[in-house]
Amino acid sequence: MKRETALLLAPGVLVLTLGFVLPVLRVLTLAFDAKTGFGLDNFARFFADSFYPLVAWRTVRLSLVITLVTALFGAPLALVMARAPRWLRMALIVVVVLPLMTSVVVRTFGWLVILGRGGLLAQTLAYFDLAGRNFSLMHTETGVVLAMVQVLMPFVTLTVLSTLEKIDPRLEEAARVMGANFWTTLRHVVVPLAMPGLVAGSLLVFALSASSFVTPGLIGGVRLPVLGATIYQQVTGTLDWGFAAAQATLLLILALVVALPYAQGARRAGASR
Amino acid sequence: MIGRVPALAAALGVALAAAAAIFMLAPLAVVIASSVSASEFLVFPPRGFSLRWYQEILASSVYLRALGVSLTLAAVVTVISVALGAAAAIGLSRPGVRFAGALQGLFLSPLMLPTILLGIGLLMLASRYANGPSFAVMALGHVVVTLPYVVRTVSAVLARVDPSLEEAARVMGAPWWRRYWHVVLPQARPGLAAGAFFAFNVSFDEAVVALFLRAPGVETLPLLIYSKLEFSPDPSVAAAATLMIAMTVAVMIALDRVLGLDKVAA
Repeated sequence: MKRETALLLAPGVLVLTLGFVLPVLRVLTLAFDAKTGFGLDNFARFFADSFYPLVAWRTVRLSLVITLVTALFGAPLALVMARAPRWLRMALIVVVVLPLMTSVVVRTFGWLVILGRGGLLAQTLAYFDLAGRNFSLMHTETGVVLAMVQVLMPFVTLTVLSTLEKIDPRLEEAARVMGANFWTTLRHVVVPLAMPGLVAGSLLVFALSASSFVTPGLIGGVRLPVLGATIYQQVTGTLDWGFAAAQATLLLILALVVALPYAQGARRAGASR
Repeated sequence: MIGRVPALAAALGVALAAAAAIFMLAPLAVVIASSVSASEFLVFPPRGFSLRWYQEILASSVYLRALGVSLTLAAVVTVISVALGAAAAIGLSRPGVRFAGALQGLFLSPLMLPTILLGIGLLMLASRYANGPSFAVMALGHVVVTLPYVVRTVSAVLARVDPSLEEAARVMGAPWWRRYWHVVLPQARPGLAAGAFFAFNVSFDEAVVALFLRAPGVETLPLLIYSKLEFSPDPSVAAAATLMIAMTVAVMIALDRVLGLDKVAA
């Protein structure tokens, strides 16, 4: 490696070491910090009663639902974008990218106005006589899922879109020329080839949703705590950093443990078609 | 030519596109609509039309200070992030980089790992080795979060340029600073501009790292909105949030100009 190349890379590596690698290592070491030096005290406390395991279970369950819903709607949306006429494609890119680039605080605020008592959703449902005006999805898991799907769907859609763009159009042409209809081609050519993008996008959504706390915190509130929210609470409220670090470590492990079989399963499903 | 799309598939596609547009844009639309309400309270649909809440926030020292902090922070972060990220992307584009894969992974990993981990870690380090969180620590956190965007956009642009131009400059004896100023940087320019707009937007909007590193005097606009949402928001929050949406729209238009939104997205 030339000296010039090393000089170009060094400042970035230095800043990332200081501002990223060391902080993450600090969290991991603090998690195993115990009175006796190195120990699992913080983790033992997590499993001491059912409160935190239930919080972890809610986090996993909500993240899985959010990941499935985003994949179910986000991936077909990418397909529409890839095949739509230019104007519609551009319009849909704005529809996906504008919310993605808007602060998560602002988007959550929008959902508070929609989901709250007397909010847009309650009024719409009341108009069709489907619910009373006091109807509210605040402090419900449904409300959290709705808002989180809107926050995270762009990640799936854009990852799948970029995979679809790389598919050689001749593969589809070949299938059609040989007599396969639209749906058969979709099932046996397009979907399997798009699968890596769907897997990558879904993993990203799962990791992001398991660790998020701004949206679940403001919409779910204290009655529906998720891991991100209890970590935030411990770091800023009770200042119990060792315990917070242990929870963050568990969050990381959780994301990895759920991610690996999911990735393998999805890859196998893609390959067998 | 790929064969015809059946009517059912086309209809499903249009329905999905329409539903996605409503679902994705509704939260932004209600914020904008609430901001022009004449009412004292945050109600939907808004009652009457007035710009009084904009007058209010533009006369409020709390909002103006937060806006000032956010703009300064985003500007500082953009300059540092573009300088570091561009250098790294140029370095990574050179042949024969040792550990190229690992380095690439390092530069993109802040996008993949939960930001909450970064926030806690920085807070713990800052409390131990500095005097707790400060503007500088928050800027460091935001540089880490924005760096992947710069590295990615600059790398994407450099992948399409002709490396023989730089080689020609080198062979003809141009000193290193002329080579960078007249060849390498102009070649990377669309990527630099797009990376800068991304970095600015991400830092201006960022709330997770900021919530952990919040310090007295370093309250950004997203932090201010967040704390108002925790209690009882009035339409002034909607006005501030609308200004943030306007900033995002401006950045998107700029991104479309320099690189094309199409390329930025996919």
